Amino acid sequence: MPKDKLANVITTYITILDSFSVNFPNTFDREIENVKMASVLVRFSYLTKNQLGLLAPLANSAQVCCYSTPPGTPPPQTKTKFGPLCDEDRIFTNLYGRHDWRLKGALKRGDWYKTKEILCKGADWIINEIKVSGLRGRGGAGFPSGMKWSFMNKPSDGRPKYLVVNADEGEPGTCKDREIMRHDPHKLVEGCLIAGKAMGAKAAYIYIRGEFYNEASNMQIAIAEAYQAGLLGKNACNSGYDFDVFMHRGAGAYICGEETALIESIEGKQGKPRLKPPFPADVGVFGCPTTVTNVETVAVAPSICRRGGAWFASFGRTRNSGTKLFNISGHVNTPCTVEEEMSIPLKELIELHAGGVTGGWDNLLAVIPGGSSTPLIPKSVCDDVLMDFDGLVAAQTSLGTAAVIVMNKQTDVVKAIARLIMFYKHESCGQCTPCREGISWMNKIIYRFVDGNARPDEIDMLWELSKQIEGHTICALGDGAAWPVQGLIRHFRPELEDRMKKFHEQQKGQHAARN
Amino acid sequence: MLRITAQKSLAGAKVSPKHLFPIFSRSSTDVAKKPEKIEVFIDDKPVLVEPGTTVLQAAALVGVEIPRFCYHERLAVAGNCRMCLVEVEKSPKPVAACAMPVMKGWRIKTDSEMTRKAREGVMEFLLVNHPLDCPICDQGGECDLQDQSMAFGSDRSRFTDIDFSGKRAVEDKDIGPLIKTIMTRCIHCTRCIRFASEVAGIDDLGTTGRGSDMQVGTYVEKFFLSELSGNVIDLCPVGALTSKPYSFTARPWETRKTDSIDVLDAVGSNIVVCTRTGDVLRILPRINEDINEEWLSDKSRFAYDGLKRQRLVTPMLRDACGELKPVDWEAALLGVGKVLKAAGGNITAVAGGLADAEALVALKDLVNKLGSEAVCIENSFPLDGSGTDLRSSYLLNNKIAPAEEADLVLLIGTNPRLEAPLLNSRIRKGYVHNETEIAVIGPKIDLRYDYIHLGEDPSIIRQIENGQHAFVKKLKSAKKPLVILGSDTLSRSDGAAILSSVQSLSRGLQDEMCDPEWKVLNILHKVANQVAALDIGYTPDLSKICESSPKVLYLLGADDCGITRADLPDGCFIVYQGHHGDQGASIADAVLPGIAYTEKQATYVNTEGRAQQTLVAVTPPGLAREDWKIIRALSEIVGAKLPYDSLEEIRYRLEEVAPHLTRYGCAEAANYFCEALELGKKTNAPIDTSPLDVKQKTLEDFYMTDVISRASPTMAKCVAAVQKQNLSKY
Amino acid sequence: MASVILRSRVLTPKYLKQCCAGISTSVSRYSDDVEVAVKQREAPLIRKELALLNSAELEQKRQHEEGTITVDRPSNVSVITGVPEEHIKSRRVRIFMPAKNAMQSGTDNTGQWEMEFETRERWENPLMGWSSTGDPLSNMQLQFSTKEDAIAFCEKNSWPWFVQEEPPKKEAKPKSYGVNFSWNKRTRVSTK
Repeated sequence: MPKDKLANVITTYITILDSFSVNFPNTFDREIENVKMASVLVRFSYLTKNQLGLLAPLANSAQVCCYSTPPGTPPPQTKTKFGPLCDEDRIFTNLYGRHDWRLKGALKRGDWYKTKEILCKGADWIINEIKVSGLRGRGGAGFPSGMKWSFMNKPSDGRPKYLVVNADEGEPGTCKDREIMRHDPHKLVEGCLIAGKAMGAKAAYIYIRGEFYNEASNMQIAIAEAYQAGLLGKNACNSGYDFDVFMHRGAGAYICGEETALIESIEGKQGKPRLKPPFPADVGVFGCPTTVTNVETVAVAPSICRRGGAWFASFGRTRNSGTKLFNISGHVNTPCTVEEEMSIPLKELIELHAGGVTGGWDNLLAVIPGGSSTPLIPKSVCDDVLMDFDGLVAAQTSLGTAAVIVMNKQTDVVKAIARLIMFYKHESCGQCTPCREGISWMNKIIYRFVDGNARPDEIDMLWELSKQIEGHTICALGDGAAWPVQGLIRHFRPELEDRMKKFHEQQKGQHAARN
Repeated sequence: MLRITAQKSLAGAKVSPKHLFPIFSRSSTDVAKKPEKIEVFIDDKPVLVEPGTTVLQAAALVGVEIPRFCYHERLAVAGNCRMCLVEVEKSPKPVAACAMPVMKGWRIKTDSEMTRKAREGVMEFLLVNHPLDCPICDQGGECDLQDQSMAFGSDRSRFTDIDFSGKRAVEDKDIGPLIKTIMTRCIHCTRCIRFASEVAGIDDLGTTGRGSDMQVGTYVEKFFLSELSGNVIDLCPVGALTSKPYSFTARPWETRKTDSIDVLDAVGSNIVVCTRTGDVLRILPRINEDINEEWLSDKSRFAYDGLKRQRLVTPMLRDACGELKPVDWEAALLGVGKVLKAAGGNITAVAGGLADAEALVALKDLVNKLGSEAVCIENSFPLDGSGTDLRSSYLLNNKIAPAEEADLVLLIGTNPRLEAPLLNSRIRKGYVHNETEIAVIGPKIDLRYDYIHLGEDPSIIRQIENGQHAFVKKLKSAKKPLVILGSDTLSRSDGAAILSSVQSLSRGLQDEMCDPEWKVLNILHKVANQVAALDIGYTPDLSKICESSPKVLYLLGADDCGITRADLPDGCFIVYQGHHGDQGASIADAVLPGIAYTEKQATYVNTEGRAQQTLVAVTPPGLAREDWKIIRALSEIVGAKLPYDSLEEIRYRLEEVAPHLTRYGCAEAANYFCEALELGKKTNAPIDTSPLDVKQKTLEDFYMTDVISRASPTMAKCVAAVQKQNLSKY
Repeated sequence: MASVILRSRVLTPKYLKQCCAGISTSVSRYSDDVEVAVKQREAPLIRKELALLNSAELEQKRQHEEGTITVDRPSNVSVITGVPEEHIKSRRVRIFMPAKNAMQSGTDNTGQWEMEFETRERWENPLMGWSSTGDPLSNMQLQFSTKEDAIAFCEKNSWPWFVQEEPPKKEAKPKSYGVNFSWNKRTRVSTK
């Protein structure tokens, strides 16, 4: 790996950051921060192919050059082997529900231990710890959590602040949050309290997916237990901090997992995303500053505070640090949800925890590495890709929610992607044009591709359509629907063309037979 | 709203309101500071804008029009059509210009490759499920989708799926007798929904379903009934909502458009009359920021079919058998002239609300020349005190547009929603955007906004005047209070006492105002030309005139005065001059056919005292003639020749009587508030205990209020629709 | 006659100077201003053929040299246009700015002044159903950049005219998407 080239790419990334701060000076300083950071995330996917190519060898690179910026600066990359995680480093110790999930069991596992002390150290300390830990949002976008939480610490204008926990886990293939809420609900409740303290929130709303009946019920019991034990409510944990946690059950719409749609839904309106700006940190739920975070992000916060940000940062590669819940499903021998170290090679993850691909590794066709909205990667890429944000971006896909969907060679990959598009078509909220009209059109086309009932030039048209949707919608659902199609066309174009050829030959044959 | 807080905090310091506006969620302390303008570049053209301005607005400042469907400047920003996507330099994605506030130094590219690609993509998606029925679509020719697809769309279709699954089809909805829905054409811009909920104040429209199954409609099967419902037809950028009465009637390029003035209420909305081959085909609003913005009430928009029915098209005289028989003009004029001559000055003239200023002045001149002073209007107003001598006692002194800036509105015995829908929409605008508080003395009515109901008892007015009522505190603390008194209230027997009371309480508030331009006292009329009639010198003492037993009663379009044969002495000859065969014509001995507002160039003065003129859109039917010309001809026969032969000459005469009547477009402000108050104080009459009432209470009462709307089948259908809706369980 | 250029400008001293400049054979040397002349280190140029003329004669001379005639009031072309007298004396021209079509959001075809004649009788042609009229001027649509131009045109053609002033424009307030979600205002969106 030519180190200077890599440095070059990273400098580009920093330059982009800087250019944004030049472009958005201090008029709306806070919002701008937000814009800036959000755009950085977008940036990754907008790096040109060349740059991505440069990033690709990063997977094997031993050391990444470091630049000095004070808070939460990631340590230089020294580790070379990632995973397996040892048991004492696991955060979610009751992931499989083998122990008591109630308060008593949770206390035994170390939850609520010295929570008061953590709270008393103050918001800045907590945020600093989170920054040091390098925790990035676990909901899919991977936004640095410490920074996101710090957006809330601007001077109050009289409005209360809220923490909203996004437990609307609807991404196909993803099943991590439900395990937390069902088997370790106190991790989340305690996380709400700590995250709430960090951002000075008055209350937390846990927006839970409507279908999660047992999870909602367990969560509710856990919240009630916490209240009874004085861990929540007025003077929570005797820290002098008042904090409430509310549950809100959704009604089963995937789009309500989008943060602004979720806010709308909490407010009792149709879950249709809002435009940004204003960002939720400015105008969120009930018009007040709000931070929406994923369940897993919140649930790991207490452990980070207890064990220290540096401990958390010691896992995984720089800027991809921590442990992560991986969900492995599809054509594997033992599908499972497992906590693993970030940056674990995909192959190792599957072989070690999921009992390998059905029919052996060589029978692997493709993997969707981060839940249904990420582009699939073929076996050639799967062989050595690392499961973290940067590694997967380099492979032209994304970590997403780390829901690994494995497809072996018996899969009809076109049909699989078509089914995903049908899901997105069904779940599109219908508010903005490209998503409403574009996805249903893509759906029509791709189902014809399943049969091969199309012309090869329609593949290019489909590609263009997906590009016409991507980036033009209000929320990321449009992008999420466009990417699987793009992944399919990128890696399986010959397959599509073969089908069309076969279909037309068959048609011709039938036609000839009839005459 | 923040703007008000800021103004309160400045305590009357003169600050231009344009510098005080809400930026999303900035605290009020920030807003009090005068924000500095920021510079942005639209296609490399620099422009200075206030912070918070959207990209689209900034572009409009340099004359760059960004295409849009969902954005409408009078509605909330939705940002859902994505047509307005533009490139901002260094931003990876195009931004929605309608919702994105500009930042300092942004370089916006409205015609770059990325922008054009984004527009073309959105346009393609919009057209995917839009039917290709432009040739039979009523919107064809004035359709935003058509125009913008020509300008920004691709030149060819690649919708290959038309051969497989085709396009989406959506069931049409029945939302009433005025609006025709073709929901397959809907592009889901939600303008109609936002209009209904923000401007009309009716949350009946909304979306159901999601994704490609999303539909705009009423959630349950019900009519979209509002006094402003017709505006969604204009707002709809495609042909999904079109006018039912106008459906399949004409293409926009076939019609001739004549700018005119609406006369079916006292607001004087500016309209465009679309005609073809001598027929009025439809009426559209015309933008006037001072009056109707760009809205129009349903009555003004749809009652035009009443102009073709029940018309008086020939002069008539009652024959020996007591039947009205058509005669020619000569016979009619001679017949009427003979009677007028013989009356010996014992003549009474009554003018209706639709009579134009030219006819009013001609009739008054004629009657005066014949030796009578008895010219009156249909409605009665108090004559005690200053009566109608001072204009401040009968004008909407504060004008229509500033009503949206008021922070407290007190409505006394009026239902602005039905009497002046566009004034009500202004009050609602203030209610929504300025946090205006509204209080009502009078019956409990549905105004489509929340208000404090103080009661029906008119004595409350006196209590407020004397400072005994709890509401006084609120009134006194208001920075811009507005008192609107309905004309129904003034027709009461204790009208003078109520007027004097309201004058005095308004004076009390006016004295504390720092802004001399702000007028607290306002009278709201219901008929178009009431103000002109009073300005010209018509008196509002109809009942007294009937008692004076006239020999000739000359009704100039007076159909609502309620005079019957029984009220008049035997042998009283009734002349009716007007355009519709309504109550007036039915009791008349002679009928002289006049013409309606679409057929003449005539002057009307609205309730705020603004003179405006209608223009000739179509020619009069049959033998009907311009009203002032009929009177002019009659005067020659009677031997009291009026000295004007042309429109210019009669307008000179109008100018002589009242110069503001010919200053078109200007609202002449009233004066002498104090003098009116002092004169009013002299009446000292007690206020009745009978509760205040308004004639138009529910939407049913709105549609048919004058000869034109009573003759209109569309308006009749609207009344039936309201009645049907009342029976429905929704 | 049609090619005659009509001008009716007030003759200011400055203008006179300019026209003298035109007459001068040597512009660089020309100046009747003493100060300028001093700078030029040369006496002011005096043209002998102009020096003795009075102002009226000077003007005549100027016009002669420019080849134009000044008429001090607008000319009337109605006598020679061939428009029937009835259509000159009895017509009334409205000069106005066309309003934006309420049905559309585009603003093309607005912003200029137009003139139109009052509407005369139109009827449906019994044969084809087309719209007919006996008014030769009813389809005359002319656009002007200013109302003064339009007025001048009407004056020239002896049509009585009146101007319908454009309605007042309102300054746009910055729109905000955020107010749709504000916590304490009625702008909060309830339906969608």
